[in-house]
Amino acid sequence: MTPIPHEFAIGGVYMPPLLIAGLFGVIAAVVTARLLDRYRLSKYLFYPPLVSLAMMIIYTVLIGTFIIGA
Amino acid sequence: MLSRKTKEALKTALAMTIAYGIALSMDWDKPYWAGFAVAFVSLSTIGQSMNKATLRMVGTLVAIVVAFTLIALFAQERWLFMLFLMLWLGICTYMMGGAQHQYFWNVGAFVCVIICMDAGPNSANAFEIATLRAQETGLGILVYSLVAIFLWPSSGGADFNAAAVKLAATQHQLLGAYRGLLSNKGDSAQAQELGSSAAQAKALFDQLLAAASTDDYEVWELRRQWRHYQHLAANLAETLERWREGFAEVQSLDLPHLLSNQENYTAELDARLEQVDRMLANQAPARQPAIIELAFDRAAVASLSHFNKAALAVSRDRLQQLEVLTGALFDCVSDIKGFGRETTPVVKLSPAVNRFVPDPERITSVVRLTATMWLAWLALIYIDALPGGAGFVSMACPLGMALATTPQLSVSRLFVPATFSVLVAGLAYIFVMPELSSFWGLGFLIFTLTFAICYLFAAPQQGLGRAFGLAMFVSIASISNEQSYNFLTVANTALMLPLMFLLLAITAHIPFSPRPESTFLRLLGRFFKSSEYLVSTMRWDPSSKPSRLERWRNLFHSHEVSTLPRKLQAWAPLIGNSAPLGTSLQQVQVVVSSLQTLTYRMQALVESRNNPQAGFLVQQLLEDIRAWRLGVEASFQKLSADPTTAEHEVFRTRLDEITRHLEARTQEVLDKAADGQLSDQDAENFYCLLGAYRGVSDALVDYAGNADVIDWPRWREERFA
Repeated sequence: MTPIPHEFAIGGVYMPPLLIAGLFGVIAAVVTARLLDRYRLSKYLFYPPLVSLAMMIIYTVLIGTFIIGA
Repeated sequence: MLSRKTKEALKTALAMTIAYGIALSMDWDKPYWAGFAVAFVSLSTIGQSMNKATLRMVGTLVAIVVAFTLIALFAQERWLFMLFLMLWLGICTYMMGGAQHQYFWNVGAFVCVIICMDAGPNSANAFEIATLRAQETGLGILVYSLVAIFLWPSSGGADFNAAAVKLAATQHQLLGAYRGLLSNKGDSAQAQELGSSAAQAKALFDQLLAAASTDDYEVWELRRQWRHYQHLAANLAETLERWREGFAEVQSLDLPHLLSNQENYTAELDARLEQVDRMLANQAPARQPAIIELAFDRAAVASLSHFNKAALAVSRDRLQQLEVLTGALFDCVSDIKGFGRETTPVVKLSPAVNRFVPDPERITSVVRLTATMWLAWLALIYIDALPGGAGFVSMACPLGMALATTPQLSVSRLFVPATFSVLVAGLAYIFVMPELSSFWGLGFLIFTLTFAICYLFAAPQQGLGRAFGLAMFVSIASISNEQSYNFLTVANTALMLPLMFLLLAITAHIPFSPRPESTFLRLLGRFFKSSEYLVSTMRWDPSSKPSRLERWRNLFHSHEVSTLPRKLQAWAPLIGNSAPLGTSLQQVQVVVSSLQTLTYRMQALVESRNNPQAGFLVQQLLEDIRAWRLGVEASFQKLSADPTTAEHEVFRTRLDEITRHLEARTQEVLDKAADGQLSDQDAENFYCLLGAYRGVSDALVDYAGNADVIDWPRWREERFA
């Protein structure tokens, strides 16, 4: 069951869930990219910058759908 | 006693506070623009600050004129408006990549964008915004100038004189080191280190000359002589390097026997530079330059092989150039320091090339910035409630220009300074400023924060942190007489920055990948392509004059060959320090160094080709020289297609074969020559040419040997930047 979308409040300041999902999505994509570089798996990719962008979007959607609820 | 760092931080903080105080008391809108002016013109000496302030002010005025022109012409045509604004930004970005007045072009661009964006839908605003910008900039500059002049003034004169002494001393030491290397007694590692020190000393001297001319009257009075000295020092550095490049070919010869007074000759050059050191230290010279000729033993030289004669001719030519330069340096410094001038021949300096030669790197930066600004503009139009609004486009310009003209700087390096500065500025804005009720409190806050930022980020390499810290504080605080506090101001700025970085990260890949190794390979390919073209133009046909297009292409490719090694050097540390590439910094620097050697050899070849040659030699050896030229051209062609396919053994074998053949043919032709058919000058010109051809081939073989050790396939693997 996917979580119910809700804002995040820090000290009375409300932030949209997509922002948080996006932030974690970017971090996850960067970590994945570093690991792919570390183990030289990125050499099999045709154009890593586009792959990086795609990973950010995929991670944002996944985190937003299944973890945060964006 | 306060340190220099503390004094400079105090001056900036005081100027910032006073500028804000005056702007607020005069009820001027946007006093933070005066704060920006103070933040960005404050440098370590009055001269540097005044120069930068002048460039900022003139840049602002020019930007205002351009902005008014665009708004007047295209007030209702937003696409045409942006097109012509982009044209102006492109011109400014291109010019910013040049050697002079970079900051003028930088300011001319982003101030124009600020006025255009802040004018908004009402073009009548434009005049008020422009006037305000000029007022506030002028105020900031005036306040900082007065504070810098009256409070602990630091003139650049002393630093400049010290830089001149250091430059002369390192060049003198370099000559001594090269003399040692030539006689096989020197240490090449020490010589290389001295070479780097000399290059750094020259860069510092160049930087300080402009500032010292502004704030030191004695330097200003003699500014033409100092520029002449600067030019001579640059020529000396280049000639010393070109002399050293030829050592490999002459070290095996019995030089003391061949050039009988070489030791005395180089001792005379050394003595002249020693006197230059003395004069720069304000001591009268102990002796004047002696007129000396470099003698050679004809009989001994005649017994050498033709290639050895060629190498000797090239080395002798370099020594003679050094003699002329050291004499000119002595005269110049003697004139500057007032120790009287001796009547020595005036060195005719080669005229500066004023013709326009497009620089591909600068064009790339224009394309990159244009892409950035267009994307920012489209985001402003099509994304509703874009954080920052028009400020997003305004901020994209200076950041985009900085990154476009410094492609080695990665966007990720901006994250930490930006985050830290937004955090500090945000905390001050939310928690401290609402508690302040008068200018005393506000002034104390401005003073304290500015001092802290300038003190903590005082080192030149921390300039990015300093600039971000001051800029974020000034823009987030948004101090004005009608002060309001809204968390959205901080939130919008905090959100705008990640979007800005995302935009810059995307456009960093336009038009080429920003990966250091991809850039290095691309530049390498261009270097060999230009070398191939230059060699192809050396067909021997004195009757045919090159067309204008051919002359221009020649100029372009010569410019490429002479500037690309320096550009490659800028990328070397990023490759050498990158573990995934499996290449050390030293390996990359050796490759770059061999390319620089190839550049010098190519330049020597072009110069030698311009000397007149004896008709009968041309006739007899034309086919052989042509075969050699075609061989070198084919090698360059292969390398331009793929710079990583340098085959050291193949090049070496081919060169040895050609050398043997040409040696035999030259002997054959000269044996047939009648007595007196070949004059001394003809012989010298011929041997210089032969030496230059051999030099290019040797440098190519040397490059191939150095390139062999690099793991090129790994450089070509795709990876995330």
